[in-house]
Amino acid sequence: MNKRLLILKTVLWGLVGVLAVVTVARFVNGLGAVTNLSDGAPWGLWIGFDIMGGVALAAGGFVIAAAVYIFGLERYRPFVRPAILTAFLGYIAVAVGLLYDLGVPWHIWHPVRYWQYHSVLFEVAACVMLYLTVLALEFAPVVLEHPRFDKPLFGKVLSGLKRVTIPLVIGGIVLSTLHQSSLGSLFLITPYRLHPLWYSPIMYVLFFISAIALGLMMVTLESLLAAFFLNHKVHKKLLSGLGLAAAAVLGVYVTLRVGDLAIRGVLTTYLDGSWPSMLFVSELAISAIIPAALLLIKPVRSSIAGLALCAALTVSGMVMYRLDVAIVAFARPEELTYFPSWMEFAVSIGIVATFILIFIFFVENFRVYDDVEKAADGPKRSYDPATMHALLPRRLALPRRFSLAAIAAAAVAVVFLPQEAITGVVPASTPVAASRTVDGLPVNREGGGGGRKLQLIEARNGVPEGMPFLMIDGNRNGYPVLFDHKAHEARLENDRSCGVCHHISRPFDRNTACFECHRDMYEPMSTFNHASHVEQLEGNAGCIQCHENTAVEKSAETAVACGECHADLVSPLSFVEAPDDRWQAAVGYMEAMHGLCVSCHETKLAEDPENLPAALDRCDTCHDADRPIELQRMAPHVIASRERGGGG
Amino acid sequence: MSDTIAILNDTTRCTGCEKCVAACKEEYELGRDRPWRAQGAVSDLSSTRYTTIVRRPDEHYVRQQCRHCLEPACVSACLVGAMQKTPEGPVVYDADRCMGCRYCLAACPYGIPRYEWDQRVPYVTKCTMCIERVRRGDIPACVDACPEEATMFGTRAELLAEAHRRIDENPGKYQPRVFGEHEIGGTSVLYISDIPLDFLAWKPDLGTQPLPERTWAALHKVPPLMLGMGGLMTGIYWVVGRRMKLASEAAIELETAASDIQAPAAEAESGEGST
Repeated sequence: MNKRLLILKTVLWGLVGVLAVVTVARFVNGLGAVTNLSDGAPWGLWIGFDIMGGVALAAGGFVIAAAVYIFGLERYRPFVRPAILTAFLGYIAVAVGLLYDLGVPWHIWHPVRYWQYHSVLFEVAACVMLYLTVLALEFAPVVLEHPRFDKPLFGKVLSGLKRVTIPLVIGGIVLSTLHQSSLGSLFLITPYRLHPLWYSPIMYVLFFISAIALGLMMVTLESLLAAFFLNHKVHKKLLSGLGLAAAAVLGVYVTLRVGDLAIRGVLTTYLDGSWPSMLFVSELAISAIIPAALLLIKPVRSSIAGLALCAALTVSGMVMYRLDVAIVAFARPEELTYFPSWMEFAVSIGIVATFILIFIFFVENFRVYDDVEKAADGPKRSYDPATMHALLPRRLALPRRFSLAAIAAAAVAVVFLPQEAITGVVPASTPVAASRTVDGLPVNREGGGGGRKLQLIEARNGVPEGMPFLMIDGNRNGYPVLFDHKAHEARLENDRSCGVCHHISRPFDRNTACFECHRDMYEPMSTFNHASHVEQLEGNAGCIQCHENTAVEKSAETAVACGECHADLVSPLSFVEAPDDRWQAAVGYMEAMHGLCVSCHETKLAEDPENLPAALDRCDTCHDADRPIELQRMAPHVIASRERGGGG
Repeated sequence: MSDTIAILNDTTRCTGCEKCVAACKEEYELGRDRPWRAQGAVSDLSSTRYTTIVRRPDEHYVRQQCRHCLEPACVSACLVGAMQKTPEGPVVYDADRCMGCRYCLAACPYGIPRYEWDQRVPYVTKCTMCIERVRRGDIPACVDACPEEATMFGTRAELLAEAHRRIDENPGKYQPRVFGEHEIGGTSVLYISDIPLDFLAWKPDLGTQPLPERTWAALHKVPPLMLGMGGLMTGIYWVVGRRMKLASEAAIELETAASDIQAPAAEAESGEGST
């Protein structure tokens, strides 16, 4: 094995190790935990690259098969087997990528059961499944030729397969035509989301033609890579023929793409120097214009460097076309940006790495390339005196090196896993801040309903004397509720009634503020501080004071309730009931505010409807509509639960 | 389509109290909203909020919910038939069929379907216009809960007539169109409003062509394309094969003829005879 291949394989195994780690996180904790996808960006890198790019990259299979078997261009036969193998492995990689991307991967077979002829995606799925079968049959002879399968039965299968080669090839071409183009049709239904420079009624034609060009250049690139890493012969003359063909196809593609946009008048409107137009121009230049122009120059397409450059440009450019359509030029809500997480990249790259390794396996063990030059470095392969390998049986040395690479990379990957990939998605937390005292002014409410509203005093110029209000804005979103604390005190008549609202007082505290227990805007949480109790009860010796029953496992459920010790914690005047006997849970801040304030307002209004303003139980009494106050959310579940309670 | 059940939202009557949201949450036991990092605001539509109130400047409240298109893009996009158009009109979702490809999320022009991103096994969620309640003879929970009659339930024909009646009676008050009457082939959830409601869709001008038609324009070419491509390839194979065969036969004939002629001649000349 040459050094390049050894390095390549080591790197690939490392990537496979990273893939393994992310795979576990993906399938244990779900899509949300490892990707940056969201409702606004439902499709990301895995659809854009693994599926759309993957299918396009595997187009070489049907293009070369058509050239050799149908058009009788026998001289290109050396490319057939590598191209078919690439296509075969490429489509399996697409299917594997799809398993990562689907929310319910074990339903991947459902299209077979529930036919939906009106769905483009159904057509794609059906064609891909059938084509994968065709490719398996087309590639099977390569495997069956192996001496290990030298049995009469396999011989019969082999000759049978060879007899149906032509129908298989034709079937493959038809299926490829259909689904390569249909990947473009997928976006016909999203005219409002796909940028006009990419949206086109003939997208399916563009996708098909670009796939042919991409297929040709992919075969070229692969051939050059095989020469570099696997010491295979470069068919320079043939490659230059492919290059010329690709240039022609790219020309057709550019003409159609630009022509369609020009005829429909999109080009003049949208080619305005904005970022999508720059992206469009650069994509077109990289994928088609530059490589096509270069390939028309004979010295370029006859040189390996020139071919490699053009192939690399087209391949990356056409993948970019797919990515642009699926992700970049696909509209998202304005405030939302989507950039794949590193784990999304790790999966995309890892799958490619896996299948390159499988490709190399087939090349090393079966007759994929017709030339036999690689035999030249045969004897050297088994002995390397400079390393440990000399001391170990060769068969063990390589697996050791590769598994070491994979495990090391996996270990690094584990370190970089974000919290959510390990624990699953947790709702975002919105910590709550204390309410503040501000100067304000009560003014009478205009219009019906009566009552007063509160107004902040802008500047403290001394003219009218303001009075202190509480500004309740736990999440500091700029939409506070002004709370007239003094007026509420007065209404509740004396200091001892603090407990009506301040229903729980922490030890040594007379009137615990809301945010001290309701510490998240929306999420309920535990109010119990275990560490401080351990300290207060003098360490481990005190366990038994709460966890009285030593026969059961220690838990919050089996421990003594808070009230047993802190009988004075809850106010007897409390308007709200403690959530349960143990009082360990506090509802979210907003739910608490609504629960306490609105319930009380409603009760008071029901008690004395004549004297109290009718607006008392309306939202805008507190969320004053005269000021730029936006109700961020009104806890519909609170309303619902209250109504349920009131009705029953 | 005239007896399709429908909802009419009159945004001039909505006070933004969100009782519809509360009723919906209770009906489907959606529980507390679970804000997470990729969500714009906690009051956005989400997997725990099938309907919500969109607040616009100057105290305008617009209820957002599935439009139940007459020709839904999501239904046409779904490759396993998990999105279904019921005979009554509402578009419903069958989680047992869903494979989670999220094409419906991408296809919907109103951005309605939501995904349970925070779940290990996520499914799509959306408003069903309370089809089960309607089949029981009830009305949708949100309509039932509305204290201001800002949202009404009925057949589409009835509600369209009512919408036009209101617009005609108050010409200055409303925008002079019923939102959802014609857009992309019409929707079952209709709006009349004093402000333009373009913000509910991805683009202001949706046009009247139903979205599935755009797909169908390409899809109906599949069978002819399949036969055509198959036929073309077979034809080319046959023609190329035959020409090669003829060419090789001709070459053999030429060779034999040449050798016949040149047989008596000197053998040294046979190399040049092939030209």
